[in-house]
Amino acid sequence: MTEATAGSATPRAPSGTKPPRPFPFPKPTRDSQPFWDACRAGELRLQRCANGHWRFPPAPLCPECWTREGTWERTRGRGRVIAYVTFRRVYHSAFAPLIPYTVAVVELEEGPRLTTRLVGVGPDEVKGGMPVEVTFEPVGNDVTLPLFKPAK
Amino acid sequence: MNTELRNKYAIVGVGQSRLGKVPDSTALGLLAEAMTAAVDDAGLRRGDVDAIVCRGPDDIYAHHQRIGEILGIDAEFSTSVDNGGASQILSIILAVLAIDAGLCSVALCGYGRDSWSRTHRSEEARQRASLVPEEQQHGEFEHEFGLFGAAATHALGARRHMERYGTTKEQLGSVAIAFREHASRNPDAYLREPLGMAEYLAGRPIVDPFGLFDCSVPVDGAGAVVVTSAERARDLRRRPVLIRGFGTFNNLRGWTAGERMVETAAKRSGAKAFAMAGLAPAEVDTAQIYDCFTSMVVAQLEDYGFCAKGEGGPFAASGALRLGGALPANTSGGQLSEGHVEGMLQIVEGVRQARGDLAKERQVEGAEIALVSGHGGNTVCHSSLILQRG
Repeated sequence: MTEATAGSATPRAPSGTKPPRPFPFPKPTRDSQPFWDACRAGELRLQRCANGHWRFPPAPLCPECWTREGTWERTRGRGRVIAYVTFRRVYHSAFAPLIPYTVAVVELEEGPRLTTRLVGVGPDEVKGGMPVEVTFEPVGNDVTLPLFKPAK
Repeated sequence: MNTELRNKYAIVGVGQSRLGKVPDSTALGLLAEAMTAAVDDAGLRRGDVDAIVCRGPDDIYAHHQRIGEILGIDAEFSTSVDNGGASQILSIILAVLAIDAGLCSVALCGYGRDSWSRTHRSEEARQRASLVPEEQQHGEFEHEFGLFGAAATHALGARRHMERYGTTKEQLGSVAIAFREHASRNPDAYLREPLGMAEYLAGRPIVDPFGLFDCSVPVDGAGAVVVTSAERARDLRRRPVLIRGFGTFNNLRGWTAGERMVETAAKRSGAKAFAMAGLAPAEVDTAQIYDCFTSMVVAQLEDYGFCAKGEGGPFAASGALRLGGALPANTSGGQLSEGHVEGMLQIVEGVRQARGDLAKERQVEGAEIALVSGHGGNTVCHSSLILQRG
């Protein structure tokens, strides 16, 4: 059975000798650059079209009404956990020290859902529906990630 | 729903390549093995084939051109399909539509990938270890948060299903155990050792709630089928299997939108296939369900209407999926045990069951109607196929 590996998942990372891979920094696009700029400034901003529809991920037009006009509006940075998973094995050496860590889909109060990592809560304490709020973590290269922690 | 196409076309031959670790071949080489075997099975020859609809590793550009060149076939109609694990049934649907439109008459459909070799053949491969070409991966909103791999994406849905409906880890285990038992009867399956609940629960943790045995097994392998008209099928070597119904639906707005993580595109794809076939779920004799992960079988059992929403876990745990059960499923062992070939081997198995020519210990007794499902693109896209003994 040792030859069996996790299907569409990947084989076990080799331990020991290999140098850690570089952090997988996001590669912003023309559409998403303002999102990352706002995070660096400590704000969670999403696109909102001229007709008031919020959207995420960043896109060149509103999928509800196809309006191109809109702004990057600041959210309250609060939401609830819709779904979550806890990583028990290493997929990327940059995350090895964090295992076990929890990745979640968070639905913001404004509506859009973000994929994020949860901090300040143990993997066994996370529950669906749990209220969370954004917290910003600089990870180098001028990149700040919007992570989420249990809401006060 | 278009019922004019019901039973008008047929699968007249199936083939598969060597399966498992086949380091001496390539994705295209494996597909060529499967496609030539399918043509032989049909009693046809190379010159009879005038269409190819196929898929391979997604980094082979214009895949159908490459396989056509290898097989020495010029095509009246050919294309590669880009719908993940939903592609393989979609290939058959496209072949039917092309034949019906008069563009071609005998189509080869197939899929092959050297998944084991790609992730294991060298230390470099083990490190890279992704089956998705790098340039096709998302550049943001995924890896920087530590989200890697298809297992995690599907585990999000599995967790939501558990919280919403009370689905248990043991119920997921009953899927893996049933399919392993089927694999033990299939000499070509990659994993054939019996699997018990204790061993399942002790499986190496991957990404909660999935352990090792919730995940399909990467193999080198390929499968193929030959599609032509039911009329022409009457003169061929094999008992034809009629294409009674098909359907598609693609949740292009995304996996995390709405309730798609627990109620998949199988619901609408399946409803269309049943409507075209003029059948109800209870009339299906065997199901070959796209089993990239155990929880996706549970969700699809519900979405296809084999049980009520939320009842997929208890349904699987009742033993329904075993040979001899109410809905024998993934009777070749499925992707969880036979080997992950993107649903292509589930199509091959559905045809074999409907032909009724499997060894007695593998055959669903009296199987006339087989349902096959395929989904891909992290379960955004779905295709359904209903087959009938001809």
